Amino acid sequence: MIKKILLSFPQVATGKPMAMELIKTYHLDFNILKASIDDNIKGTLLLEVNGEEDDIKAGIIFLRENRIGVKDIQSIIEVDEKKCVSCGACTAVCVVNALEMDENWELIHHPDKCLECMLCVKACPTRAIHALI
Amino acid sequence: MAKTYQEINEKIAKGEAIIVTAEEVIDIVKERGIKEATEYVDVVTTATFGPMCSSGAFINFGHSDPPIRMAEIQLNQVEAYGGLAAVDTYIGATQPSKDKGEEYGGAHVIHDLIAGKAVHLEATSPGTDCYPRKSIDTWVTLDDLNEAYLYNPRNVYQNYNAAINTSSQRLYTYMGILQPNMGNVTYSTAGELSPLLNDPLLKTIGMGTRIFIGGAQGYVSWMGTQFNTACSRDEKGYPTTPGATLALIGDMKAMDSKYIRSAVYEKYGTSMFVGVGIPIPILNEEIMGFVSIENKDLYTNIIDYSVPKNDKPILKKVSYAELRSGIIDINGKEIKTAPMSSLKMAREIAAELNYWIKKGDFFLQEPIINFPMGNSIKGLNNVKRGLR
Repeated sequence: MIKKILLSFPQVATGKPMAMELIKTYHLDFNILKASIDDNIKGTLLLEVNGEEDDIKAGIIFLRENRIGVKDIQSIIEVDEKKCVSCGACTAVCVVNALEMDENWELIHHPDKCLECMLCVKACPTRAIHALI
Repeated sequence: MAKTYQEINEKIAKGEAIIVTAEEVIDIVKERGIKEATEYVDVVTTATFGPMCSSGAFINFGHSDPPIRMAEIQLNQVEAYGGLAAVDTYIGATQPSKDKGEEYGGAHVIHDLIAGKAVHLEATSPGTDCYPRKSIDTWVTLDDLNEAYLYNPRNVYQNYNAAINTSSQRLYTYMGILQPNMGNVTYSTAGELSPLLNDPLLKTIGMGTRIFIGGAQGYVSWMGTQFNTACSRDEKGYPTTPGATLALIGDMKAMDSKYIRSAVYEKYGTSMFVGVGIPIPILNEEIMGFVSIENKDLYTNIIDYSVPKNDKPILKKVSYAELRSGIIDINGKEIKTAPMSSLKMAREIAAELNYWIKKGDFFLQEPIINFPMGNSIKGLNNVKRGLR
C-alpha cells in the first residue's frame, strides 16, 4: 500500500538516521515530497511511503517511539474554512472535482480525489487554500 | 391594491410586515398568483457577494501636532491618494502594496481596518507655513479615525458576462483562471437573488435607497460608473448584457469584516468582495412580477476572453439555470461552469437584511431621484497628440 505521511521532528530527534531505519528494518520505499530539516533545529518531512501494511504500521510506531510526530495526509491541499467565502473560483480549475460546491453552494473538499495539481492555490482569491509542500 | 413606502414602513414599525427573500418569493408567487402575493408580501430582500474592483474608502486621520499636509500617503505600504485636503485620503481596493504586491492591497487595508487591526500610516510632505511637519510614521485603528467610509463608484453590476478561453494558453483574469481550449466557463452573479436583476428597470432602486453594505446600513449614492440602461433586454425588460451599476456609500465603523473581504486574482491583481443587500418594496403587481424572476429566465453571454480587444466575441447565450447546473454544452462539447461570486454569502446577507427589517431596525427609504433609462456608455478614443 501507499500512504502519505507528514513527519514533524522535535529538536531532540534531528540528527538521527530515521530514514535509513525505515528502509533497512521496515523494508519501506519512500518518496520525499518535501523536506525541511536542519541538524539541531525542529523540522518537517512529507513522505509518500510504499510497503506492506504491517511494515508501514510498525515503521510509524518506531517513528513515534523516537518522538517524531506522524500525521496521515490524504491530500497536500488544505482549505481554511475561516478564510473561505465559498465563491467557487477554485472549482473552476479542479478537473477532478476534489473541490466542488454542494447543493447549498458551500465549498466541499474531497482530499481523496485530489491530484495535487495545486492550481486551486492560485485560483483562491481569499488565499484560503494552501499546499503543505 | 398598490402600497406606498410609508404604509410598508408603518407595517415594519408595528412588526407586521411580511418580508421574504428574492428566492423565497418565487414559490409564493407560484402558489398564490401575482395579485394575492402582492397583497401578502411587503418587502423582498435581494443580495450579492462578489468581487467588486471599483471600491475604496475615504478616510480622515485627524491632525497631528505639529500638523502635516500629507502629500504622499501609505497604509501598510499601500499608496493612498494625497490629492485631497491635509489629512483626507482615498484608498482604492485594487492598489497593490510596495512590499507584497497584489497579495496585499487596498482591499486588505480596508478589511484590516474594519477587523479592528492597527494599520501602519506613513506620510510625507514638503512642509508649508501652516502645516510645518514633513513626515509622520505612526499606527492607526478604525476607532482612531475621524471618518472612514466606503465609497464604491461601481458595485452590484446588473448582469455580467460569463467567461471562456478558446486559446491554447491558460488565462489569468478577474473572472478567475480560464483553462485553455474552452476548459471551463466562469460566471459572477447571484442570479435570481441579485439586487438589480430583481428591479431591472430601477423602479424602486435610486439615489438614497437604504441598503445593507458590509454589515452596515448604507445608501445608494449615485448611478454607478459605466451605468448602461441602454443595454440589450429581453421582452420583459431584464438586461441580457451588463446593464446598470450603483455607486454605494457606507460607514466602515458600523461594518463587519465578515462581509468585506479582500481578494487576490492571480496575475490580475487585488479586488474586494463587497456584501450588499437591497430591499425591494412590493408597491404593486408590476414590481412583484419583476422580483419573481427565476434563473431559468435570466440570460447572459459567454464571452471569449482570449481575444485581446474590448469588444470580445460572444460564443453562446445561456441562462443562469444552465450555468448553475455545472455543465453547459458548446458545439457538442460539455464544459464545466464555476461561479466567482458567493451565493452562500449572498443568501446569508438576504436573510440578515430580512431579520433587520423584521426587528424594526431597518426602514425603507424611497429614492430621492430615480436614475435615467436609455443611458449608454462610451469607449475611449486613442487620439494622437497634435491632431486635436
